[in-house]
Amino acid sequence: MQNSQLQSNLFSTIIWLLLFVLTVTTFSIGEAGISGKAAMLALLAITMIKSQVVANYFMGLRKTRLLWRGIMLGYFLIVGGLIALAYMMALK
Amino acid sequence: MKTHDTIPVTTSVVQSDMDVSMGKNEGDLPGDFAIWIFIFAEMLAFGVLFVAYAFSRAKNVELFNVSQLTLSRTSGAINTLVLITSSYFVVRGVAAIKRGFSTQCAYWLTGAFLLGGVFVSIKLVEFNAKFDAGITMSTNDFYMFYLSLTFFHFMHVLMGMVILACIIVKARHGGYSAQDHAGVETGASFWHMVDFLWIILFPLVYIIR
Amino acid sequence: MKYTSQAVAKPYFIAAIALFLGQILFGLIMGLQYVVGDFLFPAIPFNVARMVHTNLLIVWLLFGFMGASYYLIPEESETELFSPKLAILTFWIFLVAGAATILGYLLVPYAALAKMTGNDLLNTMGREFLEQPLPTKVGIVLVALSWLFNIVMTVLKGRKTTISLVLSLGMLGLAAFFLFSFYNPVNLVKDKFYWWWVVHLWVEGVWELILGALLAFVLIKVTGVDREVIEKWLYVIITMTLVTGIIGTGHHYYWIGTPAYWQWWGSIFSALEPIPFFMMTVFAFNMVNKRRREHPNKAAVLWALGTSVMAFLGAGLWGFLHTLAPVNYYAHGTQLTAAHGHLAFYGAYALVVLTIISYAMPILRGRAANPERAQIMEMWSFWLMTISMFFIALFLTGAGIVQIWLQRISAAPLSFMAVQDQISIFYWAREGAGLVFLIGLVLYICSFFVKGQSHAFE
Repeated sequence: MQNSQLQSNLFSTIIWLLLFVLTVTTFSIGEAGISGKAAMLALLAITMIKSQVVANYFMGLRKTRLLWRGIMLGYFLIVGGLIALAYMMALK
Repeated sequence: MKTHDTIPVTTSVVQSDMDVSMGKNEGDLPGDFAIWIFIFAEMLAFGVLFVAYAFSRAKNVELFNVSQLTLSRTSGAINTLVLITSSYFVVRGVAAIKRGFSTQCAYWLTGAFLLGGVFVSIKLVEFNAKFDAGITMSTNDFYMFYLSLTFFHFMHVLMGMVILACIIVKARHGGYSAQDHAGVETGASFWHMVDFLWIILFPLVYIIR
Repeated sequence: MKYTSQAVAKPYFIAAIALFLGQILFGLIMGLQYVVGDFLFPAIPFNVARMVHTNLLIVWLLFGFMGASYYLIPEESETELFSPKLAILTFWIFLVAGAATILGYLLVPYAALAKMTGNDLLNTMGREFLEQPLPTKVGIVLVALSWLFNIVMTVLKGRKTTISLVLSLGMLGLAAFFLFSFYNPVNLVKDKFYWWWVVHLWVEGVWELILGALLAFVLIKVTGVDREVIEKWLYVIITMTLVTGIIGTGHHYYWIGTPAYWQWWGSIFSALEPIPFFMMTVFAFNMVNKRRREHPNKAAVLWALGTSVMAFLGAGLWGFLHTLAPVNYYAHGTQLTAAHGHLAFYGAYALVVLTIISYAMPILRGRAANPERAQIMEMWSFWLMTISMFFIALFLTGAGIVQIWLQRISAAPLSFMAVQDQISIFYWAREGAGLVFLIGLVLYICSFFVKGQSHAFE
């Protein structure tokens, strides 16, 4: 019991570290002033991974029914996809 | 007289399917179902705003790119780290109450609450700088979106802090237990939503160009 | 009836129905004037008929809300009404003032009425829906305050429930926002800006709280579902309503001289306004499906379900149709607005008042429910009125779409009056549906006089 608790706390700490690193990555890309299609897609991908991680592991959605996980993932994909589409349109 | 509302009838049917928000099953959303209706509605509202931002930008890339450079990426990034960390604290608070540790739970949540305060302070400094520069929602489309999105999100942080405060007070009085902690999970879910909406908002408005 | 003071609701309900009949008659007159322009001219010109039609609507709904709260608050608070005498006094003042105002509209030219009633002291008249002379406006404030006072005092001395809290909040908002009808700035933009604070924030804000509370009350009574469950839904629904409704005011601020960001704010938030209405539909049907008792008043259940569906269609769907700024650019102020107005007011507010009357009136007359035959007649009237109103909305929508096309989109746009000629077929059809509505309403009134074996209390 105690052990599994420790493990779960360790796990959430690792998730937090992951989010931290990804945020710093995003920030660094911004500071470096990189733009263009590849940078945009990479930044969006990082963003969607981060939000999905928060939803799954922090909110605890991974333990819920497929429907709820589907709504959340679908949301990130649709919003992320439409944003990507708009940026691609702007590139042309 | 008092019992008139709830006419006693055969109770067997009643328990199982009556209340969509109470009798929890494996696989249900954490916390009260009612908060999830909010969360989904808020996600929808923000989602529309995010997408509207992106398409408005597509019509006027130059203006958006120039205006974007005037934002403080550093404060945006710090605020992201602040919110992520506060979300993490909330996770630890929920873990604590699941084992029945009310005081520990209250400490973690207080930490999250204080970080919410840090977020709000940094945001206020940022807003202040923009207002000092004479920027309003009518300056241009970029600032309209920037101010709308961040202000709307700001209000959610404040609301989340109020919710956290209520939970902290109740936890301190031993109002939750290992068996009964739906209230903590309800507040936690809202706070995580505030977090991931910012996670999308930050790169979209501050970084991607 | 559990508390004798609940009886004060009865005159309010009767007055509401009588004024409702008046509203429909003037609606029919006006509907005919759309196609026969000089009908009843100069006795009742179109603008006067319109004023009477809309003002009667507001007044009968207010009578309904007041009656409803005098009926349900004692029961919710488990105590007698603070002052039944004040409630009756308020009733007579409101009725006399209302009648005098309507007579004033009908008998005196509007400009003369303005002069007679001291409009030069404080200029408040001449604005759509807020046409009331100054004394009437002051009277409305006093009546609303007396109502609020009576209800709040009753709630304070008795049990406090979510329903009475939400209802009181709605009434407080109703009284507070009406104060903006006294503010009539010279600047036309500001005038419109604050005009909506009464008009919009009433019907898409605080009135919805009253609607939610009344519907929740009737559902608790007729389904026997736990109060806790219904109250939680009520909270979620009203919060969504307020968030979307208040910022949704922005959908009136497109291109009227207000800042451009309202196009985004108004579009996005008002587009979300159907959500709480949809939730209300789901909620009502859920509660009825999960009912723990079979209430003998079947008609009341029908009215309640009808409210939730028609409110969603009229306020939610028809509102959404023309709420987005790019759509409203073309649809603004056309018959599409009229379609939405008719279906929304009927679906949300007329129906909820009829719901509570249907539930409470038999009890006020000393029985749990009306005789079977009366209920069947009432249900017929429900279907006649609801379906004909739906058709009124459809015809007006048709008229609106053709109007938008001919007047605003087509390569060779026609003038307003030329377009009105082109769409007269829709107006004739609407008038026909209006007659069916009147038949439904007459049937409804008749149902009160049907004799038979009524349901006694359990």
